[in-house]
Amino acid sequence: MLTVRDIKKKFIKLEKNNKKSEILANDGISFTAKDGMILGILGPNGAGKTTLLRITAGIIEPTSGTVNYDELDFKNNEIEIKKNFAYLSGNTKIYNTVSAYELLKMCAEVYGVEKNKIEKRIEEISKKLKMDSFLYNRISSLSTGQTQRVNIARCLIHDPKYYILDEATSGLDIISSQIILDFIKEEKNRGKTILYSTHYMEEAENICDYVLMINKGKVVKEGTPDKIKKDTKTTNLRDAFFSVIGGVKNE
Amino acid sequence: MNSLLIILKKELKEVFRDKKSLSMMLIIPFMIPLIIIGMSALFNIETNKNINAYNNIGFNYELSSEEQKIAKDLNINVTYKTEKELKQDYDDGFINLYVTKNENTYILNGKTGDNTSYAIELVNTYFSKYKEYLQDKYLTDSNIDPDDVINIITVEENIKEKDNYFQNYILTYGFLFIIMAITVSSTYPATDATAGEKERGTLETLITFPIKSKDIILGKFLSVFISNLITGLLSFILYYISLIISGNTFKIYEGISLVLPAKTIIFILIVIVLYSLLIAGVCISVASKCKTFKEAQSALTPFTFLSLFPGMLAFMINIKSSLVLSMVPCLNFVLLFEDLMDGSLNVLYLVIMIASTIILIGVLLSVIIKQYKSEKIII
Repeated sequence: MLTVRDIKKKFIKLEKNNKKSEILANDGISFTAKDGMILGILGPNGAGKTTLLRITAGIIEPTSGTVNYDELDFKNNEIEIKKNFAYLSGNTKIYNTVSAYELLKMCAEVYGVEKNKIEKRIEEISKKLKMDSFLYNRISSLSTGQTQRVNIARCLIHDPKYYILDEATSGLDIISSQIILDFIKEEKNRGKTILYSTHYMEEAENICDYVLMINKGKVVKEGTPDKIKKDTKTTNLRDAFFSVIGGVKNE
Repeated sequence: MNSLLIILKKELKEVFRDKKSLSMMLIIPFMIPLIIIGMSALFNIETNKNINAYNNIGFNYELSSEEQKIAKDLNINVTYKTEKELKQDYDDGFINLYVTKNENTYILNGKTGDNTSYAIELVNTYFSKYKEYLQDKYLTDSNIDPDDVINIITVEENIKEKDNYFQNYILTYGFLFIIMAITVSSTYPATDATAGEKERGTLETLITFPIKSKDIILGKFLSVFISNLITGLLSFILYYISLIISGNTFKIYEGISLVLPAKTIIFILIVIVLYSLLIAGVCISVASKCKTFKEAQSALTPFTFLSLFPGMLAFMINIKSSLVLSMVPCLNFVLLFEDLMDGSLNVLYLVIMIASTIILIGVLLSVIIKQYKSEKIII
């Protein structure tokens, strides 16, 4: 179980006149992602989704608040926790001077996969994601779709309990997006917990068990997609979101 | 496997598979033979200049038989013409200098230039000899022994040459170029491993790996150090080979050995290791603060000159080593190298140089470890 409590994150921005101003990217966000759940974090660009997921993945530190994985708090168990999750964002790039095989081997070593199991694990994942034809090719020579599969393979190599996916389908073509969505569904079926941020409301409606709508750093609505639609008397999450924030004009 | 080793392996793969990093590491050292052999050849040409290139001297007056004899002894090709004609010949490059006479005043005419300088030197020797002849003749005609007047005292020189100018020049500059080669080759892998990784978007993934930030940055640091070390050692080998080739090829090194003694080789190897560590730390520390590859490259460019400047300054204005200067990076390497060649190396200064550099490397490492613990590295 992943528990996030009262996360606040302030950034200092330097204005043109050299004056510093504070930006509150996350303002007291809390949630719990139960085992086997896909928790969607929805909101427009600049709502604070990436900051929240970066904090959850330990890339940046919160100004205040706590992140716990299975009762282990992030601050004191960073390495142990990092072994149990995989992070993938829409901007995630991978080393293109190595082959897919070399990357997977490196990741397996980093995550402490037993040495005698590494080859077997790479073989399994390669078959599963149909990577056999380009496994030994340098990543720089792969297509976007193939690269995306390598990225997913990287996440799967240590069979993590948690996945943190930040706008993972953003900017991808329909086939590459589908590869990611299939991967998410499959991992959910295997009992994995997935934190999934997106600004594509339809996508979230299809795959998320629970949704957190955030805007301007705050949670504005949360619940199952059905409950949110029912509460807001709307037929889809897009309309529900606008209903919650009071329409586009209020933005 | 140890996280540090995994990162080191990954970084080395990136360095050795990246054409630009590889070319910076391996091609720059090949500039050293070009510089050493090229400079030696240049010195050789200048020092052993063929007299036929500057011995065509014009005169606007007839030389006496004695003057002609002196000119012949000095291998001067004499041309007699009017001043106007001589000027034209000089402008056309037929003569290297021309002398005009106005009663007892002789004027050397020409324009500043390489061959004219040599011609002036030759004509000055000619006039010294002619003056000597006139003084001797005058005194002899007056029944005075010239030695009683001109050579009342005898001055003899007993000055041993401390070192050969060209040898000193080529050894020191070659050593400085090794340092510069390490600096230049360090900037690319350091930039690529830090700002480059940030720009490419792979740093974010790396930070989510279960690896301590200390291991990430130390892995990067060691990979840049290894790359620097390869450049340094290759530069040194090429420096040594170039010295041997130059020593056996050019007249200016006649009677001088350019073969480095064992203690000099050990000193240079120590400096290569220390400087490779130091500049790796400096480059990573600076490049880590930059957001883009381009920004980091711009920030690191001045270091190429900074690494060379103190050493060149020391060589040009003849600064001597001291306790304090033994702590100044780059300057201390050159000063102690010169002391070593003079045979006056102070062991205490050497220890201070090593200790101060190690302390500096330690400080730099703590700075970059701290940088990588901060979220500013990713934002």
